[in-house]
Amino acid sequence: MKTYVHFGDRTREVEITERLGELVVTLDGEPCEVSYAEADSHGQVVLNHMGKSYAMSIEGTPHAMAITLAGHRYDATLEDERERAANLAARAKNKGGGVVKAVMPGVVVEVLVEEGQAVEAGQPLLILEAMKMQNEIGAPGSGTVERIHAGAGDAVGAGDKLLSLAVADD
Amino acid sequence: MFRRILIANRGEIALRVIRTAREMDIECVAVYSDVDARALHTRMAHVAVPLGGELPSESYLDMDKVLAAARETGAEAIHPGYGFLSENATFARRVEEAGLAWIGPPADAITTMGDKIVSRRAMTEAGVPCVPGLVDPVDDVETAIREADAIGYPIAIKAAAGGGGKGIRIVRDPSTMESAFRAASGEAVASFGDGRVYLERYVDGPRHIEVQVMFDAHGNGVHFFERECSIQRRHQKLVEEAPSCILDEAQRAEMGAVALQAGKAVGYRGAGTVEFLWSNGSFYFLEMNTRLQVEHPVTEMITGVDLVREQIRVADGEPLGYGQDDLSIDGHSIEVRINAENPFEGFLPSTGTLHNLRMPGGPWVRIDSGMYRGLEVGLQYDPMLGKLIVWGRDRAEAIARMIRAIQEMNVGGVHTGLPAALQVLQHERFVNGDFDTHFLESLDIQSPPEHEGIVAVAAAIHRHRLARRRALAPSDAARDGWLARNRSGTARHVERAGVAGATEGIR
Repeated sequence: MKTYVHFGDRTREVEITERLGELVVTLDGEPCEVSYAEADSHGQVVLNHMGKSYAMSIEGTPHAMAITLAGHRYDATLEDERERAANLAARAKNKGGGVVKAVMPGVVVEVLVEEGQAVEAGQPLLILEAMKMQNEIGAPGSGTVERIHAGAGDAVGAGDKLLSLAVADD
Repeated sequence: MFRRILIANRGEIALRVIRTAREMDIECVAVYSDVDARALHTRMAHVAVPLGGELPSESYLDMDKVLAAARETGAEAIHPGYGFLSENATFARRVEEAGLAWIGPPADAITTMGDKIVSRRAMTEAGVPCVPGLVDPVDDVETAIREADAIGYPIAIKAAAGGGGKGIRIVRDPSTMESAFRAASGEAVASFGDGRVYLERYVDGPRHIEVQVMFDAHGNGVHFFERECSIQRRHQKLVEEAPSCILDEAQRAEMGAVALQAGKAVGYRGAGTVEFLWSNGSFYFLEMNTRLQVEHPVTEMITGVDLVREQIRVADGEPLGYGQDDLSIDGHSIEVRINAENPFEGFLPSTGTLHNLRMPGGPWVRIDSGMYRGLEVGLQYDPMLGKLIVWGRDRAEAIARMIRAIQEMNVGGVHTGLPAALQVLQHERFVNGDFDTHFLESLDIQSPPEHEGIVAVAAAIHRHRLARRRALAPSDAARDGWLARNRSGTARHVERAGVAGATEGIR
């Protein structure tokens, strides 16, 4: 099974096959000899590679993980081939629309649009108060407000859905 | 000596005070908001009093509730920590009116130093060097333009009631003075309800160096040398060290003497910090913080003096008992703040529940932290969760030790500024001592890409294992349920312990 691991706009391809209980791994198509052990069931892992030992701490979900290695932190998103195909298709369909998420935790002060309303790129969609500042969240592209996920007064966490946009067909 | 004191704070600083008080055989009264029922300070004190409420204004900032807690528990003194009520002159006065000792400076000193214009005037009169500029607020644009020419550009327009870098505007060119003045004044009204602004020379490439002072109630005062706090972002410090590598012995002594002069001028008592801007060999008074500072441990590490103990002693009326000549610097110390923030996303606050907590250890590593597994990091309070402090025989050894300690440390559940601190400590300019207060903002924080391959492999294998475990054991829900039950059980236990605390808590 191939897994695509994205760090921002850089992607690494990892293929894992299980042969007689042993993991056979390739990284970007090249064989990668590793041994992997879990120190506990909470994401503390040790990976041995080329005679070196890498102790890491992994947290998150199968789709978004944060990996800490010797004080450095790596935020990665992961998808397998099936998910990659589905995500590509969804992105193509949305053409830059899609879900608008909160980039930081805060409280929704006011929603400025309604479901079904047509919006222009950059048009303010809602006001999010975070760090004692009121931030206008603008539309990433022109389209129609498909769904509003958060209402005025709602507390949202970083990454929570605010609203979904459907991009208009040209 | 006091038998029982109340600590009107939370988090790592409440713990810091509790630790020293316990060593002095003084009982501690903690106060806590609803959110902090399971917090470490609540658990480590002899007595814990619930204040109720979730917001600071409903709990740690509510003077009536804090004073009532002191009265009910028979506390003889109040230690305010930093933040919250620590620099509130009204509170300091009310504590003393209630017949309690205030482990802090006199209310008048807090008032004087709390106002930028008043403190600047007092310092100028006391012969403390200030940044060239006006002591009085500027009323109109015409005066501002005229005075700016006299002071010399670049000019900083600052809000009289401001602080923490808010409401500061830098003008490099006289032609933009008018619009900048109007904007700064308007912003000051909006932010502080006080439109007064004043002008001063903007100091280019400054370093932030501060001197720790301590005065007793008998007219004795000493300084504990300086701390360098130039590694900051929007006036939030990240890495602090002592001593500063830019000062020589003569200037160190001069800065210390000036800091004592500043304290004497306002009749200071207790621990305080005089902050200076240092630029090209000159230094200027910035402000005085009339409380214990977050970064006080680096001073403790190089002087061997427990500053909280000294605070408590002088608040009880004891004389210092030593002079400046008895103090010296031994080695070098560095502190890194552990803030819940995402350095890869412009240091935005990060929230979550702490897990996978691994603290570093080994020789000369100190941790002052309010963190525990299960701590829910929200937005109600300061994002600073704790501090990592190291000591070394010299600066190079301290840097190497801090890098080692950060590499050992793991804080799961939230982002922290640790990767940014690591990048600072490994940066050639930091190692060479060649930096100013803009250094941190100039860095592009990122993790070394050469490890992305191995990290990707680990992540993919981890995902593979997760998927297999999920397929084999659909009992995750049962386990989570058990954890959730266990957690609420703990909270109930702490609530029960409540006011009765010490005796009933131990069963």
